[in-house]
Amino acid sequence: MLTFGPRRLRSKVNQVNINPLRKHIIIALLIAACALVSISCNLASGNEEFFGKTTPPEGNILRYVNGPEPESFDPAISSGQAEARIYMALFEGLVEYDPKSLDAIPAIAERWDTNNDSSEFVFHLRHNARWSNGDPINAHDFIYSLRRALSPEVQSRTANLAYYIKNAQAFNSKSVFVRDPQSGKFLLEQDLAEEPPTTPVSLSQKVLGANESEYTLAEGNSVTPDTPFHQYMHSPARLVLPGSEKARQKMLDANPKLKAAVAGNELVKVTGEDVGIEAVDDYTVRISLAQPAPYFTGLAAYQLFRLVPRKVIEQYGDKWTDPANIVTCGPFKMKSWKPYSEVVVERDPMYWDAANVKLDEIRFYVSTDHPTTMNLYKVGAADAVVNHSVPHAWVDVIRPKKDFMDAAEAAITYLLINVTLPPMNDLRVRRAFNMAIDKETYSRSKRTTKPLSAFTPTGIFVGYPQPQGDRFNPAEARRLLGEAGYPVTQKPDGTYICEKFPADEVKLMFATHSSNKALCEFMQAQWKQNLGITVMLNNLEAKTYMASRGKLEYKGFALGIWGADYMDPATFLNLFLTPSGDNGSGWWDKKYADLLEEANHTADKQNRYELLAKAEKYMLDAQPVIPLETPSVNWVKKPYVKGLYPNPSSLFAWKFVYIERDPSKWDYRTPSLAE
Amino acid sequence: MLRFIIKRLLITIPTILVVITITWGLIRLAPGNFYTGNKKLPPAIEQNIREKYGLDKPWYEQYRRTMWGILRHFDFGTSLSYPGQSVNAIIARSIPISATVGLLAYLLALIVGIAIGASAAMKPNSRWDYAAMGFAMLGISIPNFVLGPILVLVFSLTLYWLPPSRWEGFPSRNIILPVITLAAIYTAYIARLTRAGLLEVLRSDYIRTARAKGLSERQVLFRHALRGGLMPVVSYTGPALAFLLTGTVVVERIFILPGLGNYFLQASLNRDEPLIIGIVAFIAIVLLLMNLLVDIAYGYLDPRIRY
Repeated sequence: MLTFGPRRLRSKVNQVNINPLRKHIIIALLIAACALVSISCNLASGNEEFFGKTTPPEGNILRYVNGPEPESFDPAISSGQAEARIYMALFEGLVEYDPKSLDAIPAIAERWDTNNDSSEFVFHLRHNARWSNGDPINAHDFIYSLRRALSPEVQSRTANLAYYIKNAQAFNSKSVFVRDPQSGKFLLEQDLAEEPPTTPVSLSQKVLGANESEYTLAEGNSVTPDTPFHQYMHSPARLVLPGSEKARQKMLDANPKLKAAVAGNELVKVTGEDVGIEAVDDYTVRISLAQPAPYFTGLAAYQLFRLVPRKVIEQYGDKWTDPANIVTCGPFKMKSWKPYSEVVVERDPMYWDAANVKLDEIRFYVSTDHPTTMNLYKVGAADAVVNHSVPHAWVDVIRPKKDFMDAAEAAITYLLINVTLPPMNDLRVRRAFNMAIDKETYSRSKRTTKPLSAFTPTGIFVGYPQPQGDRFNPAEARRLLGEAGYPVTQKPDGTYICEKFPADEVKLMFATHSSNKALCEFMQAQWKQNLGITVMLNNLEAKTYMASRGKLEYKGFALGIWGADYMDPATFLNLFLTPSGDNGSGWWDKKYADLLEEANHTADKQNRYELLAKAEKYMLDAQPVIPLETPSVNWVKKPYVKGLYPNPSSLFAWKFVYIERDPSKWDYRTPSLAE
Repeated sequence: MLRFIIKRLLITIPTILVVITITWGLIRLAPGNFYTGNKKLPPAIEQNIREKYGLDKPWYEQYRRTMWGILRHFDFGTSLSYPGQSVNAIIARSIPISATVGLLAYLLALIVGIAIGASAAMKPNSRWDYAAMGFAMLGISIPNFVLGPILVLVFSLTLYWLPPSRWEGFPSRNIILPVITLAAIYTAYIARLTRAGLLEVLRSDYIRTARAKGLSERQVLFRHALRGGLMPVVSYTGPALAFLLTGTVVVERIFILPGLGNYFLQASLNRDEPLIIGIVAFIAIVLLLMNLLVDIAYGYLDPRIRY
């Protein structure tokens, strides 16, 4: 009885036949439809200066297509760029991203001091910062926010970006210290170290000496007072063991010396109070890192470090981000939220710099479909759109327009190589595959991207002596393959063939996306043309792809894309600092890791850059990756939207954005990031 | 009749539970997790998340927890990818949007489809018949992901008459294009089914009798023929209504409608287990109810069918 309906339906449908005359009508109609489409395409492209309407919105508002639906309004939780942009409107940290360079600019902190090896920072907070409910903001709000963000219960996805801070990782991963119950002393890392450390101890970890000056302060600034907590931070690192019984037992069983040392001692949980952040007074925050990190102030603008309201969180728990409950500290506050449609924020009169916030309202629209996004923009229903919105096939039409944002992105596209499996475990084979790709031609055909032969994006880090890997050289590539035992021979028709190469053992895996597919097909064609090797493509759904790559379950190549977490070459180079995590290639070399460590202990910026470049060159020579391109930000904004710059991470300090109604002051080209 | 309905409703419950169990198993088979992103999480953070959501427990424990929540409180839990939002709340707020668009499309398809189909059947093999059926064939052949963008291109981007996308509530001009896009294929099917059904009925003896009585063609059509001729349409529109009410992924995505279909797609891509299970269960319930309604409607339309 359940299937009664469908069965009846099927029998009826089968009775309908198409006769020849009807076929003609259908064909005629299809032709008519095609004609209609082509006419409207012509109308749509036109020869206008800008893409679509350029009538500014009636109110003093910005309508920004922001990409996917935000996962959460809690800045400690999400890692996404779309969320980050909303957090930048609603919440402020000690510092904010500069709208052009993304360097740290004052926010809740009005100035800061850095010690001589960038391992300790003192932030001086402004006295007039307030929450959107009028409550004042002080140093304790920051301490609460970061301890909360790091606490395991909040399960932040980005907590690892604060691991530079002393004991932060131990606290976030529920680790324990070991204490002698009699003396009350903690076991130290140095007591049990197998060998003396290769890198010098950072200033923040050294015992405070009377004569050693840590800070080179600007004139008029006074030294921040010493405190017992400061002394604790400056004492040698305590031994940290895993919090879970099982993991700890495993570690101790593997190391008898450690087991003997730990036996009979009590385990003490690492708490938020152990994390290297301290409110020296109500308006001074001191942050002690476990290692030098010259880029830390830039990182401090990251969403994880933004301030959240303690009272509201303690009152409402998980529900604190409901628009009815939420209290914020940024230039804008929540006005309304329509799930999967829009987030509307309005100017917050309580904000310390409210007089300089120019927009009354920002509407963040949800849209994940690129053509849909561009349609909204064209009809004038959106004023600016998220990066990468211009579809590949539209670039030709959009690129000549004056509202196209043509600028490099702090990201790289590259192929990972699984170096643990033959034949790719042979360096000569890896180099050959790299040299057989004509990246210049690829970037020219794609028009917006730049060819890349290094592992850091081109044209992003000013003054960085970016090294270069092997260039396109098909002849040398064939020679190297021959040397590795896979001779490439030329057939009479001029094409190449490499019969001995085990092509079944190599695939190119990528996550489903139309632009990824085009890219991988190009690589496939290049290898076929220049080496005579056909590499099969393996197209996987995004999460399946990530799972497979993480476990090194692929053969040959995997397409990787990496975006900067902070504006420093280290955010790319650190991928290969450990064998796990986002490494994804199976390549790891202690010398490389040591070079990075050394660079991070170097205070002088240029010297540090040179050491980083040396490390990068070392990695490129080992070729665990094939760099392909530096992507472009690839978005559009109306000429009347000012103060919005195509910066390399597409993160915008919204308070500087405004609507210009005088066409003579509009942007008639991509705004420069340099001026 | 009442016994039949009660029996059918009782069968629904185990069916839903089987659907939920299968869905639960399939999600587990899919690689990756809701927290798998473009950047890999450090093991400690992954561990924190797994503990919070009980993913470190054995599978039967996780299954028991899921089923217990559903059976006891009809509570599907909290979304994994949208922390703090309950699945029931997400479904409750997205259903009215999907249902509004779906119902409008359904009404449009019914009215236009039956009108076209009936008029074609009245004059079979005429020019109008061919034209109408040609259009219907076109409607069936053009998928909505092609029709939608074409409509947007013509009416929004070129003529600037209608907004290209986004939900501005009901009624609003934003709703016109999605409704037409969604209705097109159903209109076409209904037109063809109506024509086929009517042609069969119009040849039967009781229509000849009606005509012999001297009734006008209109009276023959509306009083006698349509009732029997619409049987295939009824069996088609029941499940069709269920799909229309619960949202269609493609149209909701093209026009950025915050409906159930959009959430369903995103939840699957996000591996958001509670949300997927909640939406699947909801769609299954609506589908089963619509089938039941269809079977009841048969009883009224065709006096030969008795339960």
